[in-house]
Amino acid sequence: MTGTVMAADPSGPRQAHLRLLRLHLTSRGTPNGLALLAGCAALLRLVLYLHGFRGDGAAGRQTLLLIECAAASVVAVAARNPFGESELATGRLLPPLRLSAALLLSAAAVAALALGATGAGLPGGGAGLLRDVAGLVGIGLLTAAALGGSLAWAGPLTYTVVAEFALVEGWQTPWTWPARPAHDAGAWWCAGLAFAAGAAVIAVRGARDTAGEA
Amino acid sequence: MNIEIADLTRRFGRTRAVDGVNLRADTGVLGLLGPNGAGKTSLLRMLATVIPPHSGTLRLLERDPSEHGPRREIRRRLGYLPQNLGYYPGFTVVEFVEYFALLKEMPPRRASAAVATAVERVGLGDKAKAKLRTLSGGMLRRAGIAQAIVNEPDLLLLDEPTAGLDPEQRVEFRSLLRELGQGATVVVSTHLVEDVGAACAEVALMHQGRIAFQGTPDELVARGAGHGAGDAPLERGYSAVLAAARA
Repeated sequence: MTGTVMAADPSGPRQAHLRLLRLHLTSRGTPNGLALLAGCAALLRLVLYLHGFRGDGAAGRQTLLLIECAAASVVAVAARNPFGESELATGRLLPPLRLSAALLLSAAAVAALALGATGAGLPGGGAGLLRDVAGLVGIGLLTAAALGGSLAWAGPLTYTVVAEFALVEGWQTPWTWPARPAHDAGAWWCAGLAFAAGAAVIAVRGARDTAGEA
Repeated sequence: MNIEIADLTRRFGRTRAVDGVNLRADTGVLGLLGPNGAGKTSLLRMLATVIPPHSGTLRLLERDPSEHGPRREIRRRLGYLPQNLGYYPGFTVVEFVEYFALLKEMPPRRASAAVATAVERVGLGDKAKAKLRTLSGGMLRRAGIAQAIVNEPDLLLLDEPTAGLDPEQRVEFRSLLRELGQGATVVVSTHLVEDVGAACAEVALMHQGRIAFQGTPDELVARGAGHGAGDAPLERGYSAVLAAARA
């Protein structure tokens, strides 16, 4: 054996787990994902600067919902498994890694949009933003589990089209949570349920294997 | 026995990809031969615990992979190179292999040395820092083999490992196979009968989801004596067994 091959030398279990998490996040394209989330935040800032969201009306919410959809899609697409079956055949560390990646990127998505809206009034406020993004991420993660990471954006986009319609028509069902006020408990439950289901399914099963989708 | 299979079946829609396979294997290299669509990859995927069988019994490393706890232990001691190797193009060879070493819960203090050893064993030492996106198909295959052997598995499953390797690399790989087979059960699925002749102590030949032959390479050669198409003795044995299975 030559001395040319040098891997990082994690000396303890904690360092090894952190190193593994870093490699896992990198393999899911997290740096690019964070850049895209920063782009979503900048877009939100630009919209607020140019037009603002007038009052709490449907038009303002519709624009915000599109940006939330884009951010949630970034999180969901990052759930893809570039390694295919060789990764699926490994041990027990995969579910917590997938869950950690989904939670970290979800938090980053909400934080980025909140940062983009700093000092401006969003329709529904920060709480509405958290609820809507969490629910959309949940739908995206469920889509990733069903269709694969590369198509994970399809779920949030479809839901957004329906929710945009619900906003215009004033639907009352809590399942179209972006159309409900930020204090609506039913809408919170539905969005929370979608997020919990998406996070659980992606942790246990992972994104549908489409080998070589890297 | 590290592999014990009885009457194993796996369907995809109406197609029985694996149809009542019986197989036992212990330490050593087992070559899995057969034409396209014979069921080799489906069998390997079940052995890798990636897909479950529809019926029959499967025991790996003396454990039942249908149960969660035993499956976890099997996976920790398993190495698997799938037919379609997925990879993250931005990883270096070392990062790729290290990721799998850590995923397979190798002790942190051993992981670094194990990664270096695996990369060297597949002849990628001089490409250790190269990004995967810059490697040729044969080099990627070797990186895939490195991730499969990094944890020094007790059960190693290789699906078409020599695809894309040049003749010199194939010779080196056969030597590596023989070495690995001294301490582990190695199952190699391949179309290349010369790989089997050179590296395998035992051969199983699949046809339409079933095992049409199991024995030593010499026994397969004997099947082809006097008949069978092919340029080499093993090829004649292969053709003779397939012809008999089709008849």
